[in-house]
Amino acid sequence: MLKRYMRNMDWILVMTILALTGIGMVLIASATHSEAVATGTNWYVHRQALFLAVNIALVIFSLRFDYRLLKRIALPLYIITVVMLLAVMLVGKTSLGAQRWIAIGPIVFQPSEFSKAFIIVTLAAFLDNKGDFLDDFTDYLPAVGFLLVPFLLVLKQPDLGTAMVFAAIAFSMFWTCGFRVKWLAIMGGTLVVAMPLLWKVLHEYQRNRIRVFMNPEMDPFGAGYHVIQSKIAIGSGLLMGKGWMQGTQSQLNFLPENHTDFIFAVAGEEFGFIGAALILLLYLVLIWRGLHIAMNADDRFGTLLAAGITGMYIFHVMINVGMTAGIMPVTGVPLPFLSYGVSSLATNVLMAGLLLNINMRQTKLQF
Amino acid sequence: MRNQMAADRLRKMLAVAVVIVLVLMGRMAWLQLYKGMYYGAQADGNRMRSNLVMAPRGLIYDCNGQILADNFSGYRVGIQPLRKPDDAEISLLSRILAIPEDKIRAKIKKAGNSYETAYLKSDLSPAEITALEENYRDLPGVSLDLQPIRRYPYKELAAHVLGYVGEVSGAQQAEGRYKGLPSGSIVGKDGLEWIYDKLLRGTDGRRTEEVDVRGRIVRELAGQSPTVGKNLVLTIDLRMQKVMEKAVDEQLQFLRSSGWAPNAFSCAVVAMDPRTGAIKAMVSRPAFDPNWFVNGISTTNWNKINNNTFHPLTNKVISGLYPPGSTFKIVTGAAALDLHKVTPEEKIFDSGKYWMADIGNAGGEALGWINFETALAKSDNVYFYEMGYRVGIDNLDDYSRKFGFGKKTGIKLPGEAEGILSSPEVKKQIYDEPWRLGDTFNAAIGQGFTLATPLQLAQMLSTVAENGVLHPPYLVEKVVNEDGSTYMVPEKPKAIDLGISKETLQLVRQGLASVAQEGGTASYLASLPAPAAGKTGTSENPHGRDHGLFIAYTPADDPSLVIACVVEQGSYGSVSAVPIVYKVMDAYLKNYPEPDKKEAAGTN
Repeated sequence: MLKRYMRNMDWILVMTILALTGIGMVLIASATHSEAVATGTNWYVHRQALFLAVNIALVIFSLRFDYRLLKRIALPLYIITVVMLLAVMLVGKTSLGAQRWIAIGPIVFQPSEFSKAFIIVTLAAFLDNKGDFLDDFTDYLPAVGFLLVPFLLVLKQPDLGTAMVFAAIAFSMFWTCGFRVKWLAIMGGTLVVAMPLLWKVLHEYQRNRIRVFMNPEMDPFGAGYHVIQSKIAIGSGLLMGKGWMQGTQSQLNFLPENHTDFIFAVAGEEFGFIGAALILLLYLVLIWRGLHIAMNADDRFGTLLAAGITGMYIFHVMINVGMTAGIMPVTGVPLPFLSYGVSSLATNVLMAGLLLNINMRQTKLQF
Repeated sequence: MRNQMAADRLRKMLAVAVVIVLVLMGRMAWLQLYKGMYYGAQADGNRMRSNLVMAPRGLIYDCNGQILADNFSGYRVGIQPLRKPDDAEISLLSRILAIPEDKIRAKIKKAGNSYETAYLKSDLSPAEITALEENYRDLPGVSLDLQPIRRYPYKELAAHVLGYVGEVSGAQQAEGRYKGLPSGSIVGKDGLEWIYDKLLRGTDGRRTEEVDVRGRIVRELAGQSPTVGKNLVLTIDLRMQKVMEKAVDEQLQFLRSSGWAPNAFSCAVVAMDPRTGAIKAMVSRPAFDPNWFVNGISTTNWNKINNNTFHPLTNKVISGLYPPGSTFKIVTGAAALDLHKVTPEEKIFDSGKYWMADIGNAGGEALGWINFETALAKSDNVYFYEMGYRVGIDNLDDYSRKFGFGKKTGIKLPGEAEGILSSPEVKKQIYDEPWRLGDTFNAAIGQGFTLATPLQLAQMLSTVAENGVLHPPYLVEKVVNEDGSTYMVPEKPKAIDLGISKETLQLVRQGLASVAQEGGTASYLASLPAPAAGKTGTSENPHGRDHGLFIAYTPADDPSLVIACVVEQGSYGSVSAVPIVYKVMDAYLKNYPEPDKKEAAGTN
C-alpha cells in the first residue's frame, strides 16, 4: 500500500507545492515584518505554517480514500455550500464593504474559499452523471442552473472575485467535456448585451474598482492607490530585487494588503524580475502537472475534478498577478499557496491533495 | 478517462496557461526591466522626504554692537508634493492656515514631482500649530519643522537701510543671482539684505529622511548641516537712528496738523561722518515694517504699501530726486570764490530785484549792500544770480560735478539715482531747447534742472566740512564671523581731494556758520550745545507745496557730523527741515541723554 503510494506519487507536484508554500512563508514573513517587530511575534507566519502542517496531514490521511467516494457526498456538499453561503449573508462579518467571514467559536473562516472546492467536487459529479449526453448547448443548461444558486449568493456578498472563480471552474470543466467555441461566442455576445444590466447589479465600490482599473490615476488614494503602489513596488524591484525585507514599498507600508492579495508585489519588489519569473514558472509547472493528471485520470470524474482544480489555479494566478501588475481589475482574489489566509491555503492544499489522489489511482498502462 | 477529445482540450488549456504565464512575465519585464528606473524613482519619492534646513541668517549690528536684525525659531509647515494631497486635505489646510486653496495648489505644483517639501507658511501661530496637530491624521503629507525666521526687532527702524528678506520667487529661481536656489529659500530682496545676501545667507543645509506611509520618520538618510551666515557690523548708530526716526515722525505730524504743510508725508534724512563717509543714520518716510515680508506679505499689508501714493518702499535718501534749491548756493559760491570771480569783501547791491532780468528775492525782500558771508547767511538770490552770471554755466557744471552731483555716490544700496546736472546738454536732451542766460541764473540758486538726492547733498556738504576731501558714503564697517572674529573688512571707498582751495572752503564755512547764528536762516540752531553750520533751501515743486531742505554739520569748527534733510511738500526748509536736524544734532552733541537709553532697552 505504502509502496504504491510512493510509486504513484507525483513528486514534481509535491515539490512544486512545497516550494510555493515555502516561498509564501518567506514573503509573508517579510510583508508582516514591521508588525512582527512591533508585537514581538511572527503571528502570521506561525499561523500559516500551522495550517499548512495541519492540511498536509489531512492530505496524507485523505490519500487512503479513493477520490471517487466524493461522488457519493456530492449532493450533501452542494447543500452545505449553499447553506454556508447563506450563513455568510445572514451572520457573516463585514470587512472591506463585503460580508465574507463566518465565525464559529474562535475559528473565523471564509466560506467562499471552501465553496470553490465544493463547487469543483459537486460540479464534477453533476457533469459526470450527465457526461454521455453533453452534445448540445442546451445539455449544459442544467449544470449552469445548478451553479447559478451559489454564484448569485457570492455575488450578493458581494464577492465578484469568487463568482468569477466559479465561472472559471465551470468553464474549465465544460471545456473538457467538449463545450463548443461557437457556444462560447454566443455566451460572450449575451454577456455583452447583458452588461448594462450587470453594471446595475454591481455595487458602487465594484463599479469603482472597474472604473479605476481602466484608469488607476483617477483615484490615487482610493481603489487606484493599491494598484499604483503595487506597480511601484514591482517596478522598483528591477532585475534582482531589493532583497528580502528590504522592499521599501512593503516595509514602510506603502503597499496595502501586502501579505494577502498583493503578496506578489512583495516578491516583485524584493526578489526582482528573477524572483517573479521563478514564481510564475512554478505555477506553470503546477498547471502542467494538474492538466497531466487530468489527462491520465482513470475516469471522467477524475478528469473533471483535475481540470476544475487546475482551471481554478490558472484563473487565480492570472487574476491575482494581473491585478498586482495593473493589467487586471482589483477583485480580491488571493494568490494560491503564497497569499496569507488559512481558508485559501486549506482549500488550495486540499485540492492539490485531490490531484495527488487522482494521480495515485490511475491504472498505469505500462506494467 | 483516456478520451482523445478531452486530452486534446486539456492540451489546449495548457497552451492557454503557457500564454497567460508568458503574458504575465512580459508584464513583469515591462514593469521591472523597461520601466524599472521610473518606478524606482517613484518608490524613492514615496519613502524619502527632503527638507531644506535653513541656515540662520547673519545678524546685523549697529556700530556699537546693537542688534538691528536677528532670527528667532518659528514653526514652518510643509507638504509633500509627491503624495498628491487630495481636495479634502487641501481644503482643510486652507482653512487652518488661511491660505487660498489655489495658492496651496500652486505651491505644490511648483515643487513638482520631487520629494522636496513644498513650504506653505512660516512662523505659525500657536493656534495654527494646534489645529495642524489635531488634524494630523487627515493631513498625511503635512509636516512641521522649526526653522530660523528673520526678525527686525525695531520694525520700521532703518527699514530702507536693512531692506527685507522673503522666499525666493519663481522668476528669481529662473535667472539672476538667485538662479537655481531651491524653493523655500529665504533671500534678501532689498537694502543691505539684498546687497550682502551671499554673506548673510550662509549655506542652507538639507535633511533627507525615510518616512513610512503615515509620514513618520523611519531613519535619517543623509544630511548636510547648514552653515551660519556672516554678521554685518554697520556704520549706523542705533541711538542716532532712533532719535532721527522719532524727530522725523514728530515733525511730519506737526507740519500736517499745524496746517503748515498738510501733505508732508515724505521725508528723507541722512547723517554721515564727513571724516570717513560712514553713514550714521538714514531715514526715509513713509516707511514699512520689513517683518511683513519675511513670511510672505499679507494682502492687507501689501495694500498698505501699494496704495500709499508716497511710495513707502522707496529709499528717498538715495532714490529721491529734488531740486537742491538754495543749498546749491554753496556750490555756486565756492565756484565764484575759487575762480576769483568775487572777493569775500566785495559788496553787491541787492535792491530785491536782479538788474539783468525780471527775477529777485522771494517776496521782493531787499538787503542792500551785502558781502559773500551775509549773502549766504541770508540766502540772498540776487547775489547768487550775479555769481552764476560771473562764473558761467560751464564752470558751474564743472564744480557741481566735483562736488558729486550728477553721478551716484556709490553707496552699497540698491536703487541709487544719479541725479541731473543743470547744463546746456541736459536742457537740449530733455527739452530740445537752447540754453538761455536765465537758465544760468536758475542753476546758480539750485532751481534749474539740477536734481540731487539727499545723500548727494550730504556728500557735498561733507566735502566742504572736510576741507575739500570727499569721503564717499558707506554703510558696512566690517563682516564678522559667528564667534565675533572679523571675517573681512570691506574696502572703503577712496577719499578724493577735489582740488578746491582751502581758503575758498574756509570762506564758505564761515558763511554757513552765519546761517546757524542769530540773523541766519537757521538761527534756530544757535541754541545747540556746540555751534553748527548749514544751509537751508526751499525747492519749487510744481506738484504741490515746496520741498523744504536743510543741510548742516556740527561742530562748526571741527565737523564730525553732516546731516541732509528734505521734507517733501514741507514748505520752507527753515520751518520744515531745520527742527529735525536740530533734534538729531542736539542728541548727538549731548551724547544721547537718558530718555533715549530707556527706550533702547524696550525692544519691541
